[in-house]
Amino acid sequence: MKALEPWVVDPLETFLAESAARLTLLMTSSGQVVAQHGFSRSLDVMTAAALGAGIVASTEELARLTGAGRFEGLVHNGQRQSCLLAAFATPRGRWIGLVVFGPETSVGIVRLFFDQMVHQLVAAAPRELAPSAPMLAENFETELNASLKALFGR
Amino acid sequence: MTETQTALDRVTRVPGVRGALVIAAADGLVVAEQLMEDVDGQAVAALAGSLVLRLARTAESAGLGRPRFLHLRGDAGSVLAAPGADDLVLVAVVGPDANLGLARLELLEAAGRLA
Amino acid sequence: MTDDIRALTARLAEEPGSLAFLELAEALRRRGQLDAAYKVARGGLTRYPGLADAHDLMARVLSDQGDLAGAFDSWASALQLDPMRTSALKGIAFLYFKAGDPAAALAHLERALEVDPDDVSVRQAIGRVSGDVRRGGATASQTSEPPTGPTAFEPPESPPAPGPAAPVPQAPGPFDAVDGDRSGLLLVDAHGLRLAGRLRGADGDAAGDRVAAQLAGVSREAARATRLLGLGAWHAIAVESPDGHLVLTQASAETIVLAARDPSLPLGRVSMLADRAARSARTWLEAQG
Repeated sequence: MKALEPWVVDPLETFLAESAARLTLLMTSSGQVVAQHGFSRSLDVMTAAALGAGIVASTEELARLTGAGRFEGLVHNGQRQSCLLAAFATPRGRWIGLVVFGPETSVGIVRLFFDQMVHQLVAAAPRELAPSAPMLAENFETELNASLKALFGR
Repeated sequence: MTETQTALDRVTRVPGVRGALVIAAADGLVVAEQLMEDVDGQAVAALAGSLVLRLARTAESAGLGRPRFLHLRGDAGSVLAAPGADDLVLVAVVGPDANLGLARLELLEAAGRLA
Repeated sequence: MTDDIRALTARLAEEPGSLAFLELAEALRRRGQLDAAYKVARGGLTRYPGLADAHDLMARVLSDQGDLAGAFDSWASALQLDPMRTSALKGIAFLYFKAGDPAAALAHLERALEVDPDDVSVRQAIGRVSGDVRRGGATASQTSEPPTGPTAFEPPESPPAPGPAAPVPQAPGPFDAVDGDRSGLLLVDAHGLRLAGRLRGADGDAAGDRVAAQLAGVSREAARATRLLGLGAWHAIAVESPDGHLVLTQASAETIVLAARDPSLPLGRVSMLADRAARSARTWLEAQG
């Protein structure tokens, strides 16, 4: 597990221990990867972050159009692995969590401890204001590359 | 009233029962619930579902067959579970002074009707 | 097949997603069953590509198989995931030393010493390699014999595997204080290993091992459930099945007792039996120290 900011470590470690998740990615909605567990290649993180942020943006827009407010999360069930994708509010802005898990755990367990992690992150987050750059395509790529460099040392 | 609602109603009428749920064990998710305010249905479904699956595997490894009733006893109460058809499980959260014998009978009776 | 490998194999078969592959592959490697160790490690790595322990394990297996290039890559991957991993630093240092580059070996050993200044093996290896560096690079690859002796520089060994537990004496047993029929009682540790007891029937020991493997972590899971649901500490789990009843209760923080009986004995009586067995096991465990 690697995290860009130390206050993310404890909540994420607890989540990983309790949920038995195989892969986890925490990122801002502008694509900056905050922490990752289980990914061995920066390319995978880059792809997952881009896809995850895109899916969340699409479903949130769909929710807005249909008057559903906000979807709480999205689960894809697979035979061997499943995936939870959920956005949540933090004092540092809106973040996205992407979790891949197998049959050794359940979506209920993952969701339960994901929600617990969100509470812990909200409580632990430093209160200074997050930078509020507009979420443009070039910002997304720049921030993503910067965070990958920090996480993988490349 | 559906069979599920009837089942939950019968179980929650037992003295000391603080809530009852029908859960999908493999997913650990709530299918239906009738709970007191302080009982977290999402947590009960996730945690009970996981334990039920593990203990079912244990019982089958021991050659005892598929469990029909499970009881997790804690200091301040218990979780009772009765697997029904398919993956559904009827679960009750009870206080320390609950009538466990009656709760067990109601759970077994109601779980048999779950579809 | 030894008991520990059998138990670990059963555990991994039951929970393919668990980390039991680490212990199993290491146990196989230590027994010299390198092909089997490689297969298990490979399977674990496929499942957990981001786990530094898995890469470290694979490196040890490959090193034992003589695939030093493969071992180097695996240790490098482990270091990429966990730059403070001293076992990987020592492993790479060993490979540089074998390849005739004592300066690079020394640099990795010094990094390992920075991470863990108390590691005696690193200090010894630094002493050995420093001599070669001072002599201008006389190395293992340039000598006919690999370095030997008390200060020889050797590849890193993993820490001792957590299971199995200490050998259980045949007598007295943990259930001696239980009156009557003691079959159907098991004492199981937190890793899912059977410490004592057996299930009824001709297949009693094997069935006991299978059941014990299923119970790895059950105590932690029960404690988590009662804690999060506001039910305090857990005391027992009772399971009622068509062909028998079983009750689990804690004997100590690290062990649980299982009592199984046929359905003619009411579940409440099986619970009483489990309580007696747990008290007996507790006394026995305390006597074991």
